[in-house]
Amino acid sequence: MGESRSQAAAPELLHYRPWRGAFRPPAASVWPIARVALMSLFQKRMFWIIYVLGLLIFLLFFFGQYLLSWAQTQAGETEVQMGGWGRMNPRHLIQLFRGLLKLDGGAQTYYNFFSYQGYMVMIVLALAGSILIGNDLRFGSLPFYLSKPLARWHYLLGKGLAVAVFINLMTTLPALLLYVQWGLLESWDYFYERFDLLVGILGYGIVLTVTLTLLLLATASWLRRTVPLVMMWTTLFFFCRLLASALVDGLQFSPLWKLIDLWNDVSLIGGLCLNVQWSERRLGYQPPWGDAALVLGGVSLLCLIYLVRRIRAVEIVK
Amino acid sequence: MGPITANDNQAMIALRHLSHWYGPFQALRDVSFQLAPGRIGLLGPNGAGKSTLLKILLGLLPPSSGGGRVLGHALGEDSAALRRAIGYMPEADALIPGLRGAEYVALAGELYGMPRREAQRRAHEVLTYLELEEARYRRLEEYSTGMKQRLKLAQALVHDPPVLLLDEPTSGLDPAGRDAMLRLLLTLGREHGKAMLLSTHLLGDVERVCDTVLILHQGQLLLQGGVAELCRRRHDRYRLQIQGEATAFCEELRLEGVRILHDNGRGELRVAVPPNWVTRAFFALADNHHVLLRGIQPDDEDLEELFHRVLNEEGRHGRESESGGGA
Repeated sequence: MGESRSQAAAPELLHYRPWRGAFRPPAASVWPIARVALMSLFQKRMFWIIYVLGLLIFLLFFFGQYLLSWAQTQAGETEVQMGGWGRMNPRHLIQLFRGLLKLDGGAQTYYNFFSYQGYMVMIVLALAGSILIGNDLRFGSLPFYLSKPLARWHYLLGKGLAVAVFINLMTTLPALLLYVQWGLLESWDYFYERFDLLVGILGYGIVLTVTLTLLLLATASWLRRTVPLVMMWTTLFFFCRLLASALVDGLQFSPLWKLIDLWNDVSLIGGLCLNVQWSERRLGYQPPWGDAALVLGGVSLLCLIYLVRRIRAVEIVK
Repeated sequence: MGPITANDNQAMIALRHLSHWYGPFQALRDVSFQLAPGRIGLLGPNGAGKSTLLKILLGLLPPSSGGGRVLGHALGEDSAALRRAIGYMPEADALIPGLRGAEYVALAGELYGMPRREAQRRAHEVLTYLELEEARYRRLEEYSTGMKQRLKLAQALVHDPPVLLLDEPTSGLDPAGRDAMLRLLLTLGREHGKAMLLSTHLLGDVERVCDTVLILHQGQLLLQGGVAELCRRRHDRYRLQIQGEATAFCEELRLEGVRILHDNGRGELRVAVPPNWVTRAFFALADNHHVLLRGIQPDDEDLEELFHRVLNEEGRHGRESESGGGA
């Protein structure tokens, strides 16, 4: 009987069947666009290699904080056994983690973490830009998206969401985990007393996300292919950094020249969010944070304007 | 644009004085027509403005001047609702590398606004219907041209739209693939009530699938009518095989209004006959001139020849009016 039922159903499948369901609003298409973009990214081996490297940095901070907390409980001892690595004075251990690595659940900890992870994020983004958006322009997939009942804003939001999810998976989320870990290791009071750090982590995450997302979408839709994109990001974040450093630190030009180093601008605003206490010497070589914010805002706005003009279903060929 | 009439609202597509420029280049010139739902062919050579017209109908491009309504939606207003009622099959591949067939079609469904689970189920159904069941888990990069065309049709059909806009659906297909695609389109139109606007430069496609045809040339609407009606306008032609002295016979044919299109000198003639010509007249004339009529075959002007003739006539009229204007 089951067999005869399946035999009857088989030809039915070969017929066209109407669909009568309710449609969701265009905003509901943002997540599918982001999901597919992320899926394309996750299929690349290079992504996983760099993600693992990023994870190692997180693990260094995670276990560093754990060891520091443990060493503090052993402060009365003269020597403690460090697993199979021999014996060590706990005060030296505390000094190592607090002084050198700044692993003390303070603003500098999260600032350093964002900085190290940021390098990893930028490498992945430079490699992934063409997968996330460049290919849509290169292989003519844009009409596929824009011929559906959604505006280009939805498309941009979807792609931006994918980049944002990735950036935050690498930076903000692990930073929040470190924050929670320190609170659990130290005391619950940490969450109330250092609530400003939670806000700072989120603030740094937002600055990083907005700037890098818009910059990546704009450069990837402009250059489309991976190699030119990597060269552009190297110029923006490596050569501009070298140039700014040479001009300001070496040739004693005005600190305003540091504004051409976008990564430094992001770090300045991020440091401000976390309320990092800079040394006087370092502050002397930095532009005012207001100017850095203006530069980042201006660059983001330019990227947005370019994207709105660039993302069209119809390529106009002269 | 003139006031919207009740007819405009009822028509599937109603355009009035629609023009579009790409910078200084005018892609569409004062195009006006009204179409009832059905299978409509949009014919024209490359660069005629077909794709531009489709993109305007889809709300992807705003018209530079003029306007119209598609399925009751004014062009440029509520594009989302309009695009939801339309399934668009682009000419370009428009595929997303890395996705599998079923994922691609399900994504299209989700972008049309279908809930995810229903989009996935529907994607499998449509792919099965389009005979891509075996290939639905393959990556898109591995699809052949014919499969890609059917996949693009699947993503246009996934939300079961009442209207399909098809841009060169048989482009790049081999004869068997083309035949299968046209059969599929005809079935969708006839049996499942899908209205469609089929843009192509292949006249055979229109002749086989459509019941109405629009001919665009250099951005202008050259001709609009039923395919059958258009076929009636075409010249009836015959290929005659004769034996004997043909000169007097041919002279007599000319006097009767028959045009000798080609005479190979070895007893084979290609002739165009006037309206209401009866075949029997060939035999009567042959008998009068002691000519043996060995063979007679209809050799009608097909849509392609008709299309080119209309283009040539239009070109000739244009040149005449220009020279008249100049004088």
